[in-house]
Amino acid sequence: MNLDKLIELTKSKVITKSDNINEFDIEYAGASDLMSDFLAFSKENMFLITGLTSPQTITTAAVIGAKGIIFVRGKEIKENIIKIAKDLDITILKSNLSMYVACAVLYNNGLKDSMGTDEALK
Amino acid sequence: MISPHNDVDKLVNILSKVFSNTSIENIMSSPPIVVTEETKIKYAKEVMRIKGISGMPVIKRNLKLAGILSIEDIIKVFESGDLNDHVDKWMTKDVVYLSNTDTIMKFLELNDSKKFGRYPVCNDSGKVVGVVTKLDILEWMFKKLGYIYVHDDRRYKTLNKQFVSSITGEEVNRENSDFKFKVNYKSVEMVGLGATKLKKFLIEKGIKQDLVRKISISTYEGEANIVIHSNSEGCIYCWINEDHIKVFIEDRGKGIEDIETALTEGYSTAPENVREKGFGAGMGLPNMKRFSDRMTLISSLNKGVKLEMLFYLNDQGG
Repeated sequence: MNLDKLIELTKSKVITKSDNINEFDIEYAGASDLMSDFLAFSKENMFLITGLTSPQTITTAAVIGAKGIIFVRGKEIKENIIKIAKDLDITILKSNLSMYVACAVLYNNGLKDSMGTDEALK
Repeated sequence: MISPHNDVDKLVNILSKVFSNTSIENIMSSPPIVVTEETKIKYAKEVMRIKGISGMPVIKRNLKLAGILSIEDIIKVFESGDLNDHVDKWMTKDVVYLSNTDTIMKFLELNDSKKFGRYPVCNDSGKVVGVVTKLDILEWMFKKLGYIYVHDDRRYKTLNKQFVSSITGEEVNRENSDFKFKVNYKSVEMVGLGATKLKKFLIEKGIKQDLVRKISISTYEGEANIVIHSNSEGCIYCWINEDHIKVFIEDRGKGIEDIETALTEGYSTAPENVREKGFGAGMGLPNMKRFSDRMTLISSLNKGVKLEMLFYLNDQGG
């Protein structure tokens, strides 16, 4: 799935875009408000779906090698967070959808689970 | 260098205490390489040569222990016997053996008093089910040891002087580190800054991406711990060596009283304001243990935490 499709599906607004993100094929996503979960169960190049808009969300994304973050529930995103995201080359989208709906629409359109638990449903 | 006897004994002794309740059947080589009493010495010695072992249990037809045949016995045959003799003529009949339900402690007691290289392991019906050697014990421990936990007098010495790596035995020289980052413990908001800086640094140095990922995740957790728990200054150091990357993270805070519990997944003492920031799931130390090849954590109450992690550059790490 490319970024445009992701934006369209989640009705997102682009807050900041990293270099070359438009050409990137997004394959995995995961959702949590617990950063430790991302650190423990993550896939490189994934997209994070979270309602936690703090600088740690960005640094967490950076260390696990995630491509971007979708902030759900229409959270306000502060300027310092955008700055860190630019520094660390992380794409940020903002969506008014709930985490539940954002996940559902992406899953239904083929994004795979970064934890791999979707394998059990097959 | 480790001289084969005293130092190995010492090491086995120290490490065994950590695992003293582990039963021998988890460690022994099984199925064991054995010979029957009627085997000719010339065949038995070939088995030992091909398998590269210095001794093996001798069994009766019903699989029960009859004796043990060692290199020394074979030498005696060469001196004064016939290679066509049967094993039962030359084997040692008075065998010291372990039961599969014995623990490492029993092995240690025997190792202190008997000094044999290997022990047959028998089940409750007397059948030989395995063999255990000092090397088996060491190997098992090193596999088991993602971390080495030093929880006795030695840690006070360590905490109060120059830190010597318990993994590599080298002194940790903070002055010559390739990377250094001082952690601002006063701001939960700033957690992760050090880890992302280290990540950039490692990428610039041309370190492989998957390794950089493991290192930055582990460092992130270590950094979060300083901010969440230590309430003191802390520092992240990194050294790039020929075959491994070492990360050393230390603080001078309140320390960890019970490391065993702290290593349990899901256990956390993080306060509520930290949990609101997405931390405190009790995955920090378990994550570091998982992503590093070797991890040592030394701490005690009010003495800070010293965390050392090694990441191998090749695939030699477990």
